[in-house]
Amino acid sequence: MLFNSIDFVIFLPIVFACYWLLRRFHVNYQNSLVVISSYLFYAWWDYRFLSLIIFSTIVDYLVGNQLKIANTESKRKLLLGCSLIANLGLLGFFKYYNFFIESWIEAWSKIGVELEISTLKIILPVGISFYTFQTLSYTIDVYRNKIEPTHNIFQFAAFVSFFPQLVAGPIERAKNLLPQFGSKRDFDTDTAMSGIYLIIWGLFKKMVIADNCAFFVNQIFNNTGNFSSAELFVGAMLFGFQIYGDFSGYSDIAIGVARLFGIKLMTNFSFPYFSRNIAEFWRRWHISLSTWFRDYLYIPLGGSKGNTIRTIRNVFVVFIVSGFWHGANWTFIIWGLIHAILFLPLLISNRNRTYINTNRIHLVQLPQILITFLLVTIAWIFFRADSVTTANQYIYDIISFNGASLESYVNSSKRLLFSLFIVISIVILLIFEFIAVQKDQEEVKLSNAKAVFIMLIICFMGVFKNPSDFIYFQF
Amino acid sequence: MIVICSALVALISYASLSVLKKSAFYKPSYLSQHVEPSNFDYIILGASTGLTTLNTELIDSLNHTKGINLAMDDTALATQYLMLQHFIYEGKSTDYCILAPSVFDFDVTDSVMSGNDYRFMMFNDRDYVQNHYSTFDGTDANLLKLSRWFPALGVAYYNVEILYPALQATVKPEKRNRFDANGNYVYPLSSSDDQKINTSTTFQIGFKNPWLMKIKALCETNNIKLIYYISPLQGYSVMAAPQINEVINHSDVLQNKKYFYDDIHVDRKGRKKVTELFADRLAQIME
Repeated sequence: MLFNSIDFVIFLPIVFACYWLLRRFHVNYQNSLVVISSYLFYAWWDYRFLSLIIFSTIVDYLVGNQLKIANTESKRKLLLGCSLIANLGLLGFFKYYNFFIESWIEAWSKIGVELEISTLKIILPVGISFYTFQTLSYTIDVYRNKIEPTHNIFQFAAFVSFFPQLVAGPIERAKNLLPQFGSKRDFDTDTAMSGIYLIIWGLFKKMVIADNCAFFVNQIFNNTGNFSSAELFVGAMLFGFQIYGDFSGYSDIAIGVARLFGIKLMTNFSFPYFSRNIAEFWRRWHISLSTWFRDYLYIPLGGSKGNTIRTIRNVFVVFIVSGFWHGANWTFIIWGLIHAILFLPLLISNRNRTYINTNRIHLVQLPQILITFLLVTIAWIFFRADSVTTANQYIYDIISFNGASLESYVNSSKRLLFSLFIVISIVILLIFEFIAVQKDQEEVKLSNAKAVFIMLIICFMGVFKNPSDFIYFQF
Repeated sequence: MIVICSALVALISYASLSVLKKSAFYKPSYLSQHVEPSNFDYIILGASTGLTTLNTELIDSLNHTKGINLAMDDTALATQYLMLQHFIYEGKSTDYCILAPSVFDFDVTDSVMSGNDYRFMMFNDRDYVQNHYSTFDGTDANLLKLSRWFPALGVAYYNVEILYPALQATVKPEKRNRFDANGNYVYPLSSSDDQKINTSTTFQIGFKNPWLMKIKALCETNNIKLIYYISPLQGYSVMAAPQINEVINHSDVLQNKKYFYDDIHVDRKGRKKVTELFADRLAQIME
């Protein structure tokens, strides 16, 4: 079920009404409703894969409780290993099996050995990367004695399957989300209103920015040879705004919907295109994933505690694994690698934490912001391209400078209109975000008048007909 | 907030449809508001093939007749039936109706709504338009149907196709969307070489589309003589079912690639050549 679908428009008010009708009863009733509605939300896409969520839920619930009573370190390690194997095993099979088989065959064929191993027609279950990481964080935190395991299966199942963030995050931590499902929720009008404003803002980012950008981006990336260097460059920039609008829009809607249910989810994006260097970009982009990798991969590897070489190794591992998390394709690994390389000079010069306490930006920092955006845009080409070869060709076509024409964006009234929509909507986005950055806010805060303005923009500039799927669903 | 926003959206939507209804932008409005004659010798109904193949201006100059091209691109026979209803509702009459749909549409039996049916949205207070939308299922049809009472649904869904043309029409009410004063449109000159088409695949059409019967019945009720027209195809020859009498079959009259814009559409040269042939045949029929 998509957030911008009629199905969801019907689904949400029904669940919302039932949820708050149950508030007088024990919290288990509300949690049971969350679980049932979340399973329904997921089954709308494909009911067969519900079994995977239920399996992960049961495994980690049992492991968590066993970890509490396990009296030896070896037994605790064994239990943690069971959870890791079960969760990562499923993720590995559904997401990476074919990639490894194909890469293995290709590697041998380069030295003249033709292997005959057949690949499988595997459907990637929506959201598997997200809920797997979420449940893993619970087990690891219990193992590390950072949190107490829950003995309430309804509470735990609600934590794993909570529908607003089930399929595309934010990847919540048990420490933040689990206690919220353990305590009584009271309806708070201010929280709910802030949720509605965030939903409106998220819909604007998705339906106006991302889906209008998709109109050009899909055409350009599917036929790169037909476009001038300038058109390709603008196409790459538009993809940057498309993926930001798409993914952060989804996160905003998820956080907003959660607030309607009295649940506070973590911030997932913090105005990343106002970043002044790559390190800051990664503190502002997909925060729930980057902090997950920091806590469960970078720090266990040693973080920055060892010598410089070891720290650099750890950074490269994290970025490459992060790229690979996005998809089973070399393009994502290269994308991660590019970010690691861009991060390296900051790490060596010890400037990777320069802007950690200063969100507000100054006009003189504009060149740094533009350079960071440019670097991120180049990396996005690998993220969007079908193959590394296509991405290389795309970049080659840009730098070979075969023309400055932007005719493809204006050569019909429809294209001109879409171009206008994009320019207007990006300007609105940047103005609203700039104000929020300068006020040191966590999110764009809409007043009533601004919300009405944004809703009008959505109605008359949004893509309602044939909208694009959320990009991060494929991960 | 919700009330203010809903009111504004409703107001803008209603205004957009009102402006478009009075404009010449889409053909249904053009026919309703900007076409003065009410009696025609012939009208052309159809899809993009009818729109771009037959030039009524040339036909009229050759035959001394009065005709109008009411064909619209990306439309199926159901929409052409709707256009005929619209034509009659507007109090206009014709002796002949030339039906020139996509050749493949003659035998289509499953009914799917056309992509450009939103162009009748400003007339959805009329029963025949509402009945047309009610014939189909799916999001598009349901929204068009509901926009009779909630214009915002249709206008927001078709914002690019309705709201922005309405803005253009506010400034320039006479602007037409890719058709001239006689309803015709032409593709530019073909870039194909002067090359004879050597091979031709033949197929038969059986006129099985159920909408054909409805169009025929409506024509008979209004004393309109119906003529089916099969437009030129590149490399194909069409055989019409023998039981259908009034067919002008031009599927294989153009045997050179230079006349074609693409496989199913002629270019400016092709249109002139075919229109002359058509005018001659129409004159014979009218005699």
